[in-house]
Amino acid sequence: MSGPVHAALASDPVLAAHYAEFRSRAEGALDPALVALVRQAVAMVHGIDAAPIDDSALDEGTRAAIAYARRMPFEHTAITDAEAAAMVAHLGEPGFVAFSVVTALADAECRAALVDLPGLAAA
Amino acid sequence: MSTTPRVSSAIAGEPAHFGSVLAHQPEIAESFFALYGRFWGSDVLAARIKEVARMRNARVTECGFCRNVRFDKAVAEGLGEEVVDDITDGYETSPKLTDTEKAVLKFTDALIHDPELLNGDARAALQRHLSPAQIAELGLGVTLFLALAKALITMGLEPEVMDRTVLPTPAVLEAAE
Repeated sequence: MSGPVHAALASDPVLAAHYAEFRSRAEGALDPALVALVRQAVAMVHGIDAAPIDDSALDEGTRAAIAYARRMPFEHTAITDAEAAAMVAHLGEPGFVAFSVVTALADAECRAALVDLPGLAAA
Repeated sequence: MSTTPRVSSAIAGEPAHFGSVLAHQPEIAESFFALYGRFWGSDVLAARIKEVARMRNARVTECGFCRNVRFDKAVAEGLGEEVVDDITDGYETSPKLTDTEKAVLKFTDALIHDPELLNGDARAALQRHLSPAQIAELGLGVTLFLALAKALITMGLEPEVMDRTVLPTPAVLEAAE
């Protein structure tokens, strides 16, 4: 497990393990390639060093999922019923639940990195 | 922002709410509630401080459900409504919030809104008031509050109307430990 939150919890191995388990189970419920694309897309929105995504190489459903993920950091209240329904159609209800958690967690982790949470917790 | 659930309840007879929707993914639900119980059960950082950060996140992310829930452990530690009312823009001048709580609110704003807010003075204040272990726990909390609020909102689980509700503070289930 990598990431700013897990790194910051180094002094509390039990809490760190619980966090790692939660993130791992959420991400494990989705196609690993989709998880990687979501994390990459969200990181790019935050201006964190991440390679651009070649949308043209993706199928229509995955392109829509990436577009949806890009809205999570700054436009979460503007996501429409139609956009959400498209994700449910693509992923199914259980998949949409996991996707919502993974995308929101990716956004929050980027933000934790931007405030240097590991550095603050290690000082 | 929709108040119409975009996902059905996975629990027969229950309306769609965070727990019943998360039940579509029982393994995620189990690990989340174990994590959340452990987080709230830890006394490294006082529940009142955690709740101050959660209330700020609720207001900034516009999570109505989060905004109307209070956890009883924080209430017992003196977090009354007269204090919660000051967790709004301008909290820096509140006479009801402690200096520690103001430093926590600045960190919360930086994480959920604008990292530039954690400038030299704000960073120093946070580190003056909290230990590294407390900052780690606070960072975990704000990460979870933000992610869960956004997941809840985007799944259409915002209530149309909701009264202020005091709930038992999440706890570690003994059978899970």
